[in-house]
Amino acid sequence: MDVKNPIANPLIVLREEFDDWAILFDPDTGNAFGLNPTGVFIWKLLDGKHDTDAIVGRLREEAEDVPEDAGEHARQFIASLEQQGLVGYEVQT
Amino acid sequence: MQLMRTPKKIDIDITNRCNLRCRYCYHYESAGDAGGDLPASEWLRFFEELNRLAVTEVTMAGGEPFIREDLKEIIGGIVRNRMRFQILSNGTLITDDMADFLVSTKRCNYVQVSIDGSVPDSHDAMRGKGSFSKALQGLMTLRRRGVRTAVRVTIHRKNVRDLEGIAKLLLEDIGLSSFGTNSAGAIGLCRKNAEMVQLTTEDRILAMGTLLRLTKKYDGRINAMAGPLAEARGWWDMEEARNGKKELTAPKRGYLTGCGCYREHLAVRADGVITPCTMLSHIELGRINRDDLVTVWRDHEALNALRRRQEIPLSRFSFCEGCSYLNYCTGSCPGLSYALTGEVNHPSPDSCLRKFLAEGGRLPDRALLC
Repeated sequence: MDVKNPIANPLIVLREEFDDWAILFDPDTGNAFGLNPTGVFIWKLLDGKHDTDAIVGRLREEAEDVPEDAGEHARQFIASLEQQGLVGYEVQT
Repeated sequence: MQLMRTPKKIDIDITNRCNLRCRYCYHYESAGDAGGDLPASEWLRFFEELNRLAVTEVTMAGGEPFIREDLKEIIGGIVRNRMRFQILSNGTLITDDMADFLVSTKRCNYVQVSIDGSVPDSHDAMRGKGSFSKALQGLMTLRRRGVRTAVRVTIHRKNVRDLEGIAKLLLEDIGLSSFGTNSAGAIGLCRKNAEMVQLTTEDRILAMGTLLRLTKKYDGRINAMAGPLAEARGWWDMEEARNGKKELTAPKRGYLTGCGCYREHLAVRADGVITPCTMLSHIELGRINRDDLVTVWRDHEALNALRRRQEIPLSRFSFCEGCSYLNYCTGSCPGLSYALTGEVNHPSPDSCLRKFLAEGGRLPDRALLC
């Protein structure tokens, strides 16, 4: 069965500015999207090797008080990134 | 105030060469006038470092960027390294082929062309015979080919009475959405040619009033970060704050807060020397491809001293003694201050409202600001 893992568009620049906050910069459009520290953590794991469950698992390992519905939030976040062309999917067989 | 982990933008003098010698050029005869150009390979290597640091924008100026035969190769490096760019140009060397190339990159924010007159006389007086028609041709080439453009009008003694014509040309005849203005500042060649170039007090009064009136007429389509239009607005703000009619917040007033450039970007001279700003080219922070840019950005003492400039109260300066505007002033541009006083940590005399009034200046009609 094919498994789709999200992978960050390599053209997109992760620009960490203050504390753990960052922006994603799309040089082709000039658009920038703000990321909170959790968003930055997830972005760095969008390497095509982690599915959403694995990403949330890593988040639970690294952070305290991760809410129960974090998986759903992560899925929505990744879906919104995909809609904006910032993330794609690599198919593994 | 927190510091970004890395600079967001880099301003590059991509060349020290220019086909013109404008009488008020800030570059020539300043510390930025720094000898020969680096080969493209040096810039390409530097852009790889900028990519690693997530720098998002490069501004190319000079000299005249389009004079470089290898400009496409250099821009290719910017594109490959995930950045966008803008070019500041005199407009006279732009070709169809280059305009098409710029469009093809999809990364060009804009090309800024300098247009200083509505007729050849007022433009060419400072830029050289024939430059007006070439600059207009360059601007039109860019627009026809789909390159986003900006126009900067530098106001000086020979065009201060042509502002109405310039606005008509740019906004009505050519159809620009807006244009920017400044005035020739006392840096580089302008300092040498001050008597010929710089606005007198009467000229400044005329320019402020005319620009405010034109801005009203054209629905705010004229803008300025410096020069008479910016001064008219800024000085009226100070006047109203002094009279308790307005509260001025950012930037903090009563301190040397007039510029925060070095909190967001760095500059590089044509010889590869890293500086805080193109207006502060004499402050050498390091050299590209030799010194680690992050280390320069975070740790260089001269840069951090500039960042602490905002903690220096204007009350410290004898120049400001007894000034009723002191608590509403920012001291303006450190580059201009350095050019005029030899001190970076000093308010700029050229931007001083009290001095302007003492020399016979007066603020334009307040109603023009509405």
